[in-house]
Amino acid sequence: MSDPSHDNKTSGGTLKSPLFWIVFILVMGAVVSWLPLSIIAKRRFTTSDKPRIHIFQDMDQQPKYRPQAVNNLFADGRAMRQPVDGTVAFGDVQEDDHYYRGYAMTESEQQGKYQTSYFKGMPKQVTVDENFIRRGQQRYDIYCTPCHGADGFGQGTVHLRALELQQSTWVPPTSMHTDIVRDREEGHLFNTITHGIRNMPGYGKQIPVKDRWAIVAYIRALQLSQNAPVSDVPADVRPTLR
Amino acid sequence: MQQNDSSNESRFIFPAWANYLLPALALMGIGAATYLPAFVGLGFSAKTLNVGYAPEQPVPFSHAVHAGNLGIDCRYCHTSVEDAAFAAIPPTQTCMNCHEKVLPDSAKIQPVRESALTGKPIEWVKVHNLPDYVYFNHSAHVTRGVSCVSCHGRVDQMDTVTQVQPMSMSWCLDCHRKPETALRPADKVTDLTWQPPNGDQLKIGLELKEKLNIHSPAYMTSCSTCHR
Repeated sequence: MSDPSHDNKTSGGTLKSPLFWIVFILVMGAVVSWLPLSIIAKRRFTTSDKPRIHIFQDMDQQPKYRPQAVNNLFADGRAMRQPVDGTVAFGDVQEDDHYYRGYAMTESEQQGKYQTSYFKGMPKQVTVDENFIRRGQQRYDIYCTPCHGADGFGQGTVHLRALELQQSTWVPPTSMHTDIVRDREEGHLFNTITHGIRNMPGYGKQIPVKDRWAIVAYIRALQLSQNAPVSDVPADVRPTLR
Repeated sequence: MQQNDSSNESRFIFPAWANYLLPALALMGIGAATYLPAFVGLGFSAKTLNVGYAPEQPVPFSHAVHAGNLGIDCRYCHTSVEDAAFAAIPPTQTCMNCHEKVLPDSAKIQPVRESALTGKPIEWVKVHNLPDYVYFNHSAHVTRGVSCVSCHGRVDQMDTVTQVQPMSMSWCLDCHRKPETALRPADKVTDLTWQPPNGDQLKIGLELKEKLNIHSPAYMTSCSTCHR
């Protein structure tokens, strides 16, 4: 076989073999057609740190602000604004000392000196029943177990991890089962959850008021579970103890 | 057909290879008929486009360490998920609850410390981004027993959060038509390893669907359920 393109010109009406450019296009087409397929395969089977290709926008991105979005009109870049200092939202006047704070400040005889006294017992806004304590257990398991542990002895996973990493700054969490914590007023426990104590940070921003009281109720149940006199155990199961 | 030379200059004679033209054309036709639907169907599918998005975050936060190894509940950080449509990204303070004392000098959490000092939020990159005309409500789902894992996958095993579900409209509707395929007891929602008793998801799903009085498929697939 001689060069087809050369032969084609001399052979008049006959083409001894297909034109080179036709064959070239067909072969290239067959090869190149695998390129999109391999890109698709890559997109399907690997991860990518680039967002998806978005050819048809279809109002997917609208000029409005979604929660926690960025708005560069404001100096801090937040679309969600903080409440203005010194203002109180409607229905958010927290007047009741017991329910909202767990302590009361009373002016002592000396002018300008205040005394803090924690409230004993649960506030009247909550009813302690099984559901309430179960709710407290659930919330305790979410927010408290990382440090205090599910049993309240202070052996949570975060504590164990801090020990493992030999963190010199770490202070072991307090056990719930000491006389000091048992003797604390409910209001004191509530205030500790809200604002923290010593090395414990405050959880007031993460846990709503009512749930904090539920946790207080559950801590009381937890403490009782580890510190119950034998007389509290029903007589018929008492022999099975120890 | 006989091979002819220059003796037949005046007449056009089809060369031997022309016999293959028709089959070749038919082959190309079949090829194109397979290729184009495959290209469009695969190339524009939500699974190709959306799944596998794993953007790099300003802080190399590992869910595998925090939610997996340490076993911290999803709601410790994503506090609003049961009460609001949006599952809030935690403020820097939540990180500092522990990192004030644990690994306070780590270079990896330098941006967190900086944010805590300046009050400027960390700009986390949103991974699961629905179109703006979809009004997905987290609280409506998690309080009725649709687990985090149904949409977000095993986040407790992810070092970098990666989108694992297509999150297309048809994918949403699959579940809205058959909610029993995803329902579980509401207190097991953040337990990503939960398995239905005896492996029978449909049994417990149907029970819960009945008990919770989940809307009819007609309501669940109505436009205004998700769009406004």
